[in-house]
Order: sequence, then C-alpha cells, then structure tokens
Amino acid sequence: MANMPTEAHVHHHTAPTGFIRKYIFSLDHKVIGKQYYFLAVFSVFVGMILSWLVRIHLVWPDVHIWGLGAFSPTGAPGGVISPEYYLSLLTIHGTLMVFFVLTTAPQAGFGNYALPIQIGAEDMAFPTLNMLSFWVTFLALCALVSTLFVKDGPPISGWTAYPPLSAVGSAAGPGQGLGQDLWGVSIALFCVGSLLGALNFITTTIDLRCKGMTLMRMPLTCWAWLITAILSLLSFAVLFAACVLLILDRNAGTSFFLPSGLLVNGTLQNHAGGSPLLWQHLFWFFGHPEVYIAIVPGFGVISHVLSVFSRKPILGYKVIVGCLLGIGFLSFTVWGHHMFLSGMSPYSGFLFSIPTLIITIPATIVSLLWLGTVFGGRLRFTTCMMFALGFVSVFVTGGLGGMFLAQPSLDIFLHGTYFVVGHFHMVMGVAAIFGMFAGTYFWFPKMFGRMLNERLGKIHFWITFVGVYCIFMPMHFIGLEGMPRRYSSFVNELMQPLMPVHKFMTIAALITGASQFLFFINLFWSMYKGPKASENPWESTTLEWTVPSPPPFDNFGGKHPVVYHDAYEYGVVQNGKDYVMQTDPPGQPVST
Amino acid sequence: MEHAETAGLKIVFSVWFGLLGLTALEVILAYRQLPLETMLTVLMFLSVIKAALIIAYCMHLRYEQASLFVTLIPALVFILIMMTVIFADSSRLAHMRSLVQ
Amino acid sequence: MSSSSGGPVATATHGDDIGVWGGGALPYAVPSKKLGMWLFIVSDAITFSAVIFSYGYLRLAATAWPRPFEVPSITNATVMTFVLLSSSVAMVLAVRASSIGKVSAAVGWLVATALGGVVFDILHIHEWVGLIGEGVRPFHNPWGTPMFGAAFFTMTGLHMVHVTIGVVYLLVIAVGFGRRKFSAVDVEVSGLYWHFVDLVWMFIFPLVYLLSAKTA
Repeated sequence: MANMPTEAHVHHHTAPTGFIRKYIFSLDHKVIGKQYYFLAVFSVFVGMILSWLVRIHLVWPDVHIWGLGAFSPTGAPGGVISPEYYLSLLTIHGTLMVFFVLTTAPQAGFGNYALPIQIGAEDMAFPTLNMLSFWVTFLALCALVSTLFVKDGPPISGWTAYPPLSAVGSAAGPGQGLGQDLWGVSIALFCVGSLLGALNFITTTIDLRCKGMTLMRMPLTCWAWLITAILSLLSFAVLFAACVLLILDRNAGTSFFLPSGLLVNGTLQNHAGGSPLLWQHLFWFFGHPEVYIAIVPGFGVISHVLSVFSRKPILGYKVIVGCLLGIGFLSFTVWGHHMFLSGMSPYSGFLFSIPTLIITIPATIVSLLWLGTVFGGRLRFTTCMMFALGFVSVFVTGGLGGMFLAQPSLDIFLHGTYFVVGHFHMVMGVAAIFGMFAGTYFWFPKMFGRMLNERLGKIHFWITFVGVYCIFMPMHFIGLEGMPRRYSSFVNELMQPLMPVHKFMTIAALITGASQFLFFINLFWSMYKGPKASENPWESTTLEWTVPSPPPFDNFGGKHPVVYHDAYEYGVVQNGKDYVMQTDPPGQPVST
Repeated sequence: MEHAETAGLKIVFSVWFGLLGLTALEVILAYRQLPLETMLTVLMFLSVIKAALIIAYCMHLRYEQASLFVTLIPALVFILIMMTVIFADSSRLAHMRSLVQ
Repeated sequence: MSSSSGGPVATATHGDDIGVWGGGALPYAVPSKKLGMWLFIVSDAITFSAVIFSYGYLRLAATAWPRPFEVPSITNATVMTFVLLSSSVAMVLAVRASSIGKVSAAVGWLVATALGGVVFDILHIHEWVGLIGEGVRPFHNPWGTPMFGAAFFTMTGLHMVHVTIGVVYLLVIAVGFGRRKFSAVDVEVSGLYWHFVDLVWMFIFPLVYLLSAKTA
C-alpha cells in the first residue's frame, strides 16, 4: 500500500473481554509482562529451595531431609542426597535461575510491561508474537521442571551441560537419560521464545516511539532493553544450534561433541570424530552475552531509579548509552575466558583475556556515573532506592572478582573453585536480583494500582543486603584456598579447616532465603490490600507516570503523547515541582 | 520512489542469470584438482558474491535506507568473524590427530 | 495491514524538524513486519552459521573425510540449486505483481515459488533415500569418518525443514492475498523468508556437496 511507509501503528480494536482473552492468552503487553514476572517468581522460588538443599548437604551431608526421600527415592534414598542428586539439584538450580529468572523478569517481565508505555506506544509491535513468546517460554519451563519427576532424574551436567557427560546418554548414569533430553528441549524452546521476544523489543523501540521521543530522550531502561534484545537476537541463535546438535548426539548417534575411544563406565562408546571443545565454544559464545543479557536491564533500571530518587538528572546519559553499547559489543569477544583451562589454544587464551579486561572499563565508568548521580542529590530512601544503592555495592564487589578471573595465569588456580561461584553469584545472583527488586518496588504501583508496604520492604532489604554478603563474600576466600566447586562433599584433610565457613554460609543462606518470604508476602498481600496508588507516586518524569495506575488497556486512552523533554529533568523547582514530565509543554527550563 | 517495482525486469533476469552462471562456475571449479584450502576459499568467495546478489536484489536491501543495511549486515558479519576464532582449536585438533597416526 | 480506525497513528514526514529518528515515524521507512522478518533472518542466519561452522570445525580436524559424491549426485544438487534460484526469481515477480495490485498474477507467482520448493524437497528426499540405501547414516557411512553422515543430514535436514515451512507459509500467503486478507507487505515479508532460505543453500551447496565431490 504505502510506497514510502512513514506511519507506525499497532492494531488495537477494543478492550479484550472474557477471562481467557484477558488473563491467559492475552495480547496486552502489560498482562504478558506480568505473566513473565510471575513465571520468574515461581522459578526463583523453586531455584531457592534447590539452593537450600545444596547448601544443607554441603554442611550436613547425612541429614535426612523431610519429604525428599518420598520425592526422589533414587536420588535421595531416605532423604539423604546422593552425590549424583547433589549435582542434579545444582544443575536445575542454575538452569532455572539463569534462564527462567534472570533472562525473563528483567527483560521480558519489566521490559514488556514498561517499554511500550515509556516510549508512548499502545503496545508492542507484534502483540500476537509477544503472547506466543510467553507461552513457548512457559512450555520450556514445564519441560525443565518435568526433569525433577522423570524416573532417571534431572541431569547432573550443570547448567553448562558439557559433553561428553551430557552427550553420551544414559550410559553416563543417573540423570543423563530422559532428564538431559528434556533439558535440551527446554533450552531450545527457551531460545525460540527469547528470539521472538528480542525481535519484538527491537522493532518496538525503533518503530513505535511517539512523536518527540528521540532515541536520546528515551529513559535508560529503554536503551538497556534495546541493547539486551540485540544481544539476545544474536546469541540465542548459537545456543539453539548447540542444543540441536546435542540432542542429535544423544538420540541420532551423531558425534558432534564426542570423540572416538571414549570409555564410559567401562563401556566403549560407539562415537567418533567429534570434539567436546566445540560445545564449549558454542555454549560460551552464547553464554557470555547471556550474562550481560542478565545484568544490562538491571543497569537500565538502576540508572533510572537512582536519578528519580536522588532528584537529580542521571550523570552522563550519553556516556552511559555509549558504555552499554560498548559492553554489548565487547560481550561477543570474551567468551573464551570461561575456557582458559579447557585445552584450547593458549594464544586464544591471551586473545580473550584482553577484551575481558577492557570490558571492565565501561562497567566501571557506569558505576562511577551512578555514584556521581547520587552525590549531591536530595535522596529519597524508598525501598526501591535502597535496592538500587545496594545494586551498586554488590555489583562493584562482585565485578572486582572478575578482574582476577580475567587473567589466564590467575585463572589456572581459580577456575573451578568457589572464587568463581562467589563472583557470579554476586553479580548475577545478587546484583541482577537487586535490579529486579528495584524494578518491582518501582513499578508495582503502576502495575497493580497499589503500593507495596515500605516498612516490610526496608526490613526485607536490610536482611537481604547483609545476608548476601555473608553468603557470597566468604566464597571468594575459600576459593582462594583452593576449594573446588560442584563437589558434593569434602573429605580431603586440606579442606576440613574451611568447613566452618561453609556452615556460616549455609546458615546465612537459610536466613536470607527465609527473609524473602517477607517479600513474597508483601507482594501478594499488597496486590489486593495495599493502599491505592496515585498516578505518579514517585514524582517521576517518564511517560508511564502520566497514565492511571494501572493503565487502561491501550495505555494512553486513545491519545497520542508528544514528548518535549529528556527523561531525567529533576532538581529545579518551579510550579511547586522539582521535576519536569517528558510530556510537559516545551519551554520549561532544563535543570542544570 | 525506491520500491520493489522499480527493480526492472531487466535487472531481475540479469541477477538470475548471474546467479546461475556463478553456480555453474562453482561446479566447474569443483572438478579441477585444487588443494582443499584453495578450493574452500574460492568457493566461499563466490558464495558470498551470490549471497550479496540475493540480499541486494532479491531481498531488495539495495533499494532500502542505508541505515537498514548498516543495522543488519555489520552485526551479522561481526558475529561470523568472531565465530572463526574457534578454528584455531580445530587446526590444533587436526595437528594432534596427525601426531597420533 | 490496512489503517483501521482503531489503532493510533503517529505520523511524521521527511523534512520535519525532528527527522525520521525523532519518534512518530518509521526510521527505516519499512513497515514493522518487514523489520521484524529481517531481524528474524539475521538470527536464523546465525543459527545456520553455527551449524555450518561446527561442520567446518570437525571437518578441518578430521583425518578421513570422504568425498563420495559422484557426477549424478552433483548433477542432482546442481539442479536443486537451479530450481531454488529460479523459485527466488518467481518470488521477486510475485512481490512486484503484488505491489502494483495485480492480485492473480502475484498469487500465480507465489504458487510457482512454492512449487519450486516442493520440487526441491522431492529431489532432496530422493537423494536422501539414495544415500541411505548406500548405507549413509547419522552415525555411520561406508567411506570414512562417521561425522560425514551426521554433518550431511543435520545441515541439509535443517535446511529442508526451513524450505518445507516456507512452502506452507507461501501457500498460506497466496490464499490469503488472493482473498484480500493479506496485503502486499505480507507478500514481501514472505519473500524475504524465501530468499533467506535460498541464501543459506548458496553456502550449503558448495560446502557440503562440491567440497565432497568425487573428483579423482
């Protein structure tokens, strides 16, 4: 029709009716965002319980865990976790957390909910595809959770699923039968869901911004979601290929990842010609951008929230955008730092170490800009702000560990130790989660039209903040002492003096985990009984705060917002307000 | 304006014959007894030309905004270049296997 | 994708002081569906590349990679290539016809394109059956490293799945366009997918067939 398309629009007829259309197979990005969010809440709950089992076993290996024996008679006979089942638990823990928590809620959860409103659009560019993305991801979760219930048990190969263990099939023992196949199917499905989501995010951000919403006027959350979507688009494609090849190796007799002469449990495997290193290359080619996919949305939320609650513009908006782009670009050049000890070419090791160290630069710049934003601000210490400040703390702490691991010479000693576990838990298991908490406390009023309880939130924050340092900081020290990861028990004399540290961490984990119930209670209670929220409880400038809480089905009630201001105009008091909404008429002074 | 209908029939058929011709060239070259690395380089070079023709004329990227090309293609090329790093380990493996023979 | 009265329309024209990147406009001047398909193609291209690179990795490292394709096999594959290339031209003609409103011509060319895909699939399956008859399996073949069959069936199989999905997709578009349910943009978007499938074959053909042609 149009020779030169200049118009962008999303089809929206009337508000959906009927329970199924409104809440189940909804095309509304707000509903889909919530669906992803609650999928992540479920996953983090299950993942947390698995982590408790792991930590309890490390310290009290012979304890009979109530109910576990009935749940898995082969894995935990009499409720005592077997070594293989220990590995199963940490495999599902890792897979759930990395994929179904950190790759869903920050991007598909909050992004789906807030991106269209923040850019002044009615919905995402492809609402039906959006709905499909969620249900494919849901199917993927079903496939993964089902591994806990199959006869042979869940896979034991870790969330990284290295061959030969993951590729030889049930010859490798418990967990490596149907469980590993289901894992492969689950992750392959997840890749498809992520891909569809990614192209939706990119198209929406480029095509559906309202008039006046230039790229440089977008909130930093939108930049973060855009860059994350680009990373997803490019990296999940490789993981999908890797999963297909793995499934073929297991079921079609191919040998992409299996060399000849492989003896497993005394039996010669009928494979030849493959290379386990190939899986590692493919997996980490995805795996490293993946960890940035997990954290960059958090960067966006924190940048945004620190500005709102400091009542100051974000320091260095353009620099932050440049740094996020730089991090995104560099994330594709560093994957080999997971493989320093794999037997790959040492020259490659050197090649990967350099960009790994370089990537710390934009991350550091962003962290310093956060501090500069807060410095001199008129801080409002809401729970959201606490988690944002906490994010800066834990991200810097955890990130510093990465500088050690980036060097092959040090990694020779640190690889496979608790130093690595401490590092990635601080940046992913804590910082990224803090980003999710900040996002929750920030957008909850908009999403549910009610306020979360601030007192409960602050208690939740403080216990969590102290708790995560207690759990994950000691890991760096025992790692330096050489304590290996993914071991179900430590019988070695050398490791015994460190066992009290494990006990300390386990107790901290149990207390911190229990305090998360404060959050869950706050969340679910406030959804129905919390005090009603106004349109703009945080006095924030971006577009989602110009519409009712919660917004109507088409976000802007048929109106087309026009944007005249940047996203972070805080600080100059006029007309009784210390902020200028993006949609306020032009001519309002820009704050210095 | 610049849209599908302006890629005249002449261009369409030129591209078609070009693609068929390059294919025929590839087949002929395959039957010359060239060493594997040379053959691989030549064939990949020709395939990239064919791919460029398809992208530019059949998929119409030639007539789209330059910004669209800049958005899509350099990112893809960057990924492909990064993936070639894995061949360092492939040739090491070949070397190791030849030692065992 | 007609403008109905329901959806909001943000408009901007070139020459406005905010420019095409200023919001309320399509910066690439292509409908969103087309941009979405391009993004999908980039991702799918990377998936195919990962599989092809894996093949290259294992073949470079292999000691005994067979070169078993005799002249009839290469001829068959060359004919398949010609068929696919020609179907791409038919697709170009379909898009041209649809953009100037010639509905029946467009439907005709769409069906011709799909037919090309069907012929490709038939020739391909015929070849597969032949190879299987000679003893080629994903885990074994009579000529060299067992990875030959694995790489062959995986790459060509993945491609064949994409061709088949494309055939169905094109026929759905053809029927829908004929009934005025879909627009010229939808035809163009389906064309992008089809050309992508052709493009992948441009790499699979030399890398899988020609590099394993029996030349001695």
